[in-house]
Amino acid sequence: MISLLKPESKITQQLLLSIAEQMKLPLVQIARQTELAELGINPDLNQIRSIAENGLRLLDGYSLGLQLSNQGMYELAPEAVSIASILYDAIQQLDSFARLYNVELKLNISGKYGPVLAHRQGLQSAIVGLASAFIEALPSHEEERSFLQLATHRCRYGIVAGVYANIPTLSSETLRQGRRLYGLSRQPLVGVSHSSGSGIFVADAIFKAMNLKMHVSRHQNLYGLGVVLHPSPQLSLV
Amino acid sequence: MSKKKILLIEPDNIIGGVVSSGLRESGYIITHCRTAQSAINAADKENYDLVICELLLVSHSGIEFLYEFRSYKDWQDVPVMIYSSVPASEFGSKSKGLTSELSIGAYLYKPNTSLEQLIKNVDSLLAVPKHENS
Repeated sequence: MISLLKPESKITQQLLLSIAEQMKLPLVQIARQTELAELGINPDLNQIRSIAENGLRLLDGYSLGLQLSNQGMYELAPEAVSIASILYDAIQQLDSFARLYNVELKLNISGKYGPVLAHRQGLQSAIVGLASAFIEALPSHEEERSFLQLATHRCRYGIVAGVYANIPTLSSETLRQGRRLYGLSRQPLVGVSHSSGSGIFVADAIFKAMNLKMHVSRHQNLYGLGVVLHPSPQLSLV
Repeated sequence: MSKKKILLIEPDNIIGGVVSSGLRESGYIITHCRTAQSAINAADKENYDLVICELLLVSHSGIEFLYEFRSYKDWQDVPVMIYSSVPASEFGSKSKGLTSELSIGAYLYKPNTSLEQLIKNVDSLLAVPKHENS
């Protein structure tokens, strides 16, 4: 049945399967939390709220990816946006979720960059999706200290925005394999995440709809996933 | 009677925390590991009465851990319970062979198993009469 679908539909269906697998995690977390009350332990309501909010953000990201891919590039209308403000907003959104997982969030905006051309909501949603997947995965590596850096830096093709952590197992080959397996395997990024890591594939779909490509990149001895953005022509007017 | 010690191998911080709290409240001593390697290290330092293991771990799977664990004579009789997001049905006809080869006492599918059911299974594997361990 799946093989009769158009290639785009197949990708959408794989993404949906990946999200269905991923969404079991927050639902199980919430279900088991609420059962603690029966044992006389008060469930942490803030924790439950953060888990639910993160699940909802993943679903929103999926819907946005679909909407963007259904729109033509002309309708997408990239605008001049500040990466710094997008990363800052993403950190604000992720703060309580990161605390749940004892992951320290860091913002690294080294250098002064002017605005870049991007679809603001799409870029922010993709960065949040990527960061959520990393936050959830980092403690499962059992490092002494888990931290995630949301960073921007210049490369020869433009300005990179991405999320970086101490995950040496993250390589281009890992990502390539993950892209082949998501929706088909419960753990497509086996060296990176214990879950289906669908935040990463949702971000991938959003970037793709924005005509951008997500890459594995390294920054300050950390491994991460990022996207190359092009400076806005407005830069020359500033 | 001394409290029984459980080695919990669960990569997710939140589920690991909740399960640990529930089992502690029921009178058990819990060591929570997130990777197969740290679980092997923990088992080397301490004698555990039960191992609860998720199969989906980063880098090395729970199955790899169990084969390694069972390869040591000292750990061949330690009861093992699988508490996983992978349903046993996924192993198809190999399921029975796997559970007998690795001497798995119980296989619980995480989404369908309440905390109460998990604790009951732990009590039964450790043959603890109700409330004796608390």
